[in-house]
Amino acid sequence: MLSVQGLCAGYGKVEVLHEVSIEVPAGRLVALIGSNGAGKTTTMRAISGMIRPGSGRVLLGGRDITGLPSHRVARAGIAHSPEGRRVFASLSVADNLLLGSFPRLTGGRARGDIAADLERVLSLFPRLRERSRQSAGTLSGGEQQMLAMGRALMLSPAVLLLDEPSMGLAPRLVADVFATLEQLKGAGVTMLLVEQFAAAALRVADTGYVLENGRVRMSGPAAALRDDPAVRAAYLGAAH
Amino acid sequence: MQIFLQLAVSGVALGMIYAVIAFGYQLTFSTSQTLNFGQGEALMLGALAGLTIAGQTGYWAMIPLVLVFGALQGVVVERLGVAPAIRTRSEFGWIMSTIALGIIFRNTAENVWGKDDLKFPSPLPEQPLHVLGINILPMEILVVVGAIAIMLAVEFFNRRSIFGKAFVATSDDREAAGLMGIPAGVVITFSYALSSMTAAFAGVLVAPLTLTGASMGSVLGLKAFAVAIIGGLDSGLGVIVGGLLLGLAETTTGYYISTGYKDVPGLVLLLVVLAARPAGLFGKTTIRKV
Amino acid sequence: MASPKAAWRAAALLAALAALLALPHLWPSPYYIHLAQVIAIYAILLLGLDIVVGYTGEVSLGHGALFGVGSYATGVLVFQLGWPAWITIPAAIGVTAIFGALLALPALRVTGPYLAMVTLAFGTIVQIFINEMDFLTNGPLGISLRKPMLWGTRMTANEYYYVVVLVLAATVVVVNRILRSHLGRAFEALRDAPIASDCMGVSVYRHKVIAFVISAALAGLAGGLFTYSEEYISPNTYSIELAILFLLAATMGGRKTRSGPILGAAIVVLLPNLLSDVSLFRILACAGAVAATGFGGWAVVRGRMSLRRLVPPVLLLAALAGFSLRIEDMTDYRLTVFGLLILLVVYYLPDGIIGFLRTLVPRRRGPAAGAAATAGATAPPAAVAVPSVEAIVHTHQRRVAPGEPVLRVRGVRMEFGGLVALNGVDLEVARQSVHGLIGPNGSGKSTMMNVLTGLYRPTAGSIEFEGISLAGRTPSHIAATGIARTFQNVQLFSEMSVLENVLVGLHHGFRGTIGQVMLRTPSMRRQEERARVRAANLLRFVGLAGWEDEEARSLPYGRQRLLEIARALALNPGLLLLDEPAAGLTAPDIEELSAIIRRIRESGITVILIEHHMDVVMGLCDRISVLDFGTKIAEGTPAEVQASPRVIEAYLGSGATEGEA
Repeated sequence: MLSVQGLCAGYGKVEVLHEVSIEVPAGRLVALIGSNGAGKTTTMRAISGMIRPGSGRVLLGGRDITGLPSHRVARAGIAHSPEGRRVFASLSVADNLLLGSFPRLTGGRARGDIAADLERVLSLFPRLRERSRQSAGTLSGGEQQMLAMGRALMLSPAVLLLDEPSMGLAPRLVADVFATLEQLKGAGVTMLLVEQFAAAALRVADTGYVLENGRVRMSGPAAALRDDPAVRAAYLGAAH
Repeated sequence: MQIFLQLAVSGVALGMIYAVIAFGYQLTFSTSQTLNFGQGEALMLGALAGLTIAGQTGYWAMIPLVLVFGALQGVVVERLGVAPAIRTRSEFGWIMSTIALGIIFRNTAENVWGKDDLKFPSPLPEQPLHVLGINILPMEILVVVGAIAIMLAVEFFNRRSIFGKAFVATSDDREAAGLMGIPAGVVITFSYALSSMTAAFAGVLVAPLTLTGASMGSVLGLKAFAVAIIGGLDSGLGVIVGGLLLGLAETTTGYYISTGYKDVPGLVLLLVVLAARPAGLFGKTTIRKV
Repeated sequence: MASPKAAWRAAALLAALAALLALPHLWPSPYYIHLAQVIAIYAILLLGLDIVVGYTGEVSLGHGALFGVGSYATGVLVFQLGWPAWITIPAAIGVTAIFGALLALPALRVTGPYLAMVTLAFGTIVQIFINEMDFLTNGPLGISLRKPMLWGTRMTANEYYYVVVLVLAATVVVVNRILRSHLGRAFEALRDAPIASDCMGVSVYRHKVIAFVISAALAGLAGGLFTYSEEYISPNTYSIELAILFLLAATMGGRKTRSGPILGAAIVVLLPNLLSDVSLFRILACAGAVAATGFGGWAVVRGRMSLRRLVPPVLLLAALAGFSLRIEDMTDYRLTVFGLLILLVVYYLPDGIIGFLRTLVPRRRGPAAGAAATAGATAPPAAVAVPSVEAIVHTHQRRVAPGEPVLRVRGVRMEFGGLVALNGVDLEVARQSVHGLIGPNGSGKSTMMNVLTGLYRPTAGSIEFEGISLAGRTPSHIAATGIARTFQNVQLFSEMSVLENVLVGLHHGFRGTIGQVMLRTPSMRRQEERARVRAANLLRFVGLAGWEDEEARSLPYGRQRLLEIARALALNPGLLLLDEPAAGLTAPDIEELSAIIRRIRESGITVILIEHHMDVVMGLCDRISVLDFGTKIAEGTPAEVQASPRVIEAYLGSGATEGEA
């Protein structure tokens, strides 16, 4: 479904990603892990159009979307729940969710049944239903994460990008997030997940890619990576 | 006391005009962190265009046409002056180019309508109403009503329609809005269209009360900065309070001191407000990540 | 100082001066002499305005009013008191400088559009007051006076012209001295990277005010000269239009040059004359359109410019030419042309005409830098002896006993609104150690860094550096106390050279008043020499020898990081904070960086290292503190930290420690 080939990207003079290639088959959950500064968020941003890649290609369902601005990428069907959640603080929860379906409402994407999708999202996140009229800025961190994910789902996306959904959350909420990911996986949503918490990510994923210094250091079935000591070394450095 | 109340009443109408201009500043600043230094000229063009059109269609039918005209003028300013500067992240760029466009508009107006001030025929009877011993011109009431009406209309739009919500989303977080499929560039152009439209509307409201000419706008736009800064970005109500304050200050200064100094309170207010609150004027104080 | 380039420049200046002085004899038309005089006067003001706009990067719409203040200071003193020129001109300078200071002190706390608004308001108020206070200024009627007296007789027009030209020459020299001194570097630095500036001890606010006051003084000088030049002044001259005209001239001529303001002055003064003569305007507009098309075509063919960029300005000029052929009288459209010129300059000539001409001439580089550039970006220069650490790093004056920690942080808490970024963190950093600060994303490391350097004020807690409390101190004050830093996103003074970047770090060592700078006293020259030697040594220490004259922004990324370190060392710090110095570096660069950090430790400086690159951290640090969610969760040697289950859990998530071999 989503194919990243030989991606090189950076900020100004700094090249952060070097020849990154990732495959996300339809209906699968792929985890992208690695320590900070490895380039995980940069990869997400290059895919969703927040930054322009220097070279390489990004294909969605065979269609080349490399270098398109982010609003076009959204219309094409990639929903990105960004690092730090970034909900629209001045708007209500309901409005945030509605805006997630903006391309469907304005003709950029097939309309489908928005009301049904909204109902499905609210069933997935009952807390959001309770707080539907509340301003998004007043939600707690965990609730904002749910809102960001719900908002992304409202696009009815082909691929869902989730950037560090567990960041800044207490351990119990982190467990909730991963439980939700299991549910989505069960529903057949195609996902690319960036996480710093390698263990939990590899438990829920089908395949994993380990990034180090902007390169894919290893990849493979998540189960295999889980037990690999090299993964730990990628995070904490070689033993001293 | 009588005189003071009379001055207060005139001050209210004037203040509402400032509020509308300041409201226009908020609209563009919230989405793009830029504003139109030639906003006063947008008001002036609205007034003069309105004068010409009203000659054909009468005042009331002219209003929607002036709104369209104002919106188009806003789009021109944004495309020519602001969009290139946003692309190159040059503050100097949009400040100078909106100033330049203002100058061009004013000079063009001078050539089309002449340099002298014109009389704008009032749509309402010019006989003042006598209320509690004070004279109130019907036009002044229309100004207040009209100003509030247009600000409410825009707020309503922002709250109800999906496009309005997209607008608010872009103000909150431009990048995240992009991820929703909201094209930030279009939103910014639209915000300028709205902003100039409200200014043009303010122009046809205030024109019958005052002298209408190519130079009517510049100082108005400058003084409205103070109102916008006092009002802050998040509160539409703030600009109304600020506008009323300023309107009152001006009419009283004009009477008690001298008409030559009438512009001074607004300008001094601007200096004081900027000096007293140097950071976090238009909305949130952003913590700069280093 | 005796370089061929400087000699050429001095010769050019003298030749220009001679030509200007000879003008009345070569072309004895009083009209054109007067025009040249006004150009010279505007140029004096613009040289000052360039400091504010070109160097510190601020938009000031108040210089028309400052010009007016200077003009009226002289005018009023002559009109009311009949004082002579040798008092009224200095008085104009002084009064305008005071007005400038009164405006700058509150105004320069804001920037960008807010400053534009403030100066706009100031300009309007001044004009109103000059108009209304007729008891002083004679209001709209204006003030008439005559040329000043010189040895008992009134000056002739030509004599006054010579005076003005000489004053312009003196201004060029003085402004040049100021801008080439440490003050000039400070002005540039604060525009390029204001945060870094503050952290290097160059207070942004203070220097913006100094720049503004200097420009106000020059505006006052120009104003006073203008009064005598015109022999009649009235309030409506000093309008906002004039202020905008000055900005246009300053930008069009060319920023950061001395010839730019003079060229800009010439253009704006000659422009109205040009515009009032329609046939002349037509010729120039058509010639301009043809020239631009021809030149643009050549540039496209040569590959120097894309066709897309060429079309709009050429179209604009063609439209202008067409327009000129249609209308009869230009004066009505003067302001439109003016507005179009501003748009043209803002988008196509942001560095002005002189700046544009400079880009066409290939930049000649010094031989050493050229060789370094071609030898390969990452190869260190061969056989350059690294100076011994004692030779280049002055020993920081120690204020606490040898056993004591150099930094003591107790219970520091940092809240942003509702978010707690640092939750009661304690830290003790031992002298002459490399102390690592690590933690997952969002753990508070950078926040701690910013708290230590004064960019954030902590909500609670105490910080003691060598026994001195840092509570409430500004970044430039903390820099002066002995803490230096580098930045996660490189904050170099990009338009300045490598050497100049380090020289800014040495700013704190310069002593001298502005008068001494203007006169370029021997003491100032010695200080400058010493600073340059020290800067060169610092560059050698980090391995950047040979790169001195390169523009900082053209350096390869790895070199830029090293330059930041050299600049920080110039502060003579006791504590050096490095914020992710290895980010984005290649393996050989990282080797070099680690070696430099070790040398810094040997020289007696304590280092706090924030880094994600674990191999670097584990290999270099003596002790490491680990943060998570703003709390310290572990501390110890690298081995201890690597083995700590809490740390592993923080990085890899719970369950990561299960099933480990």
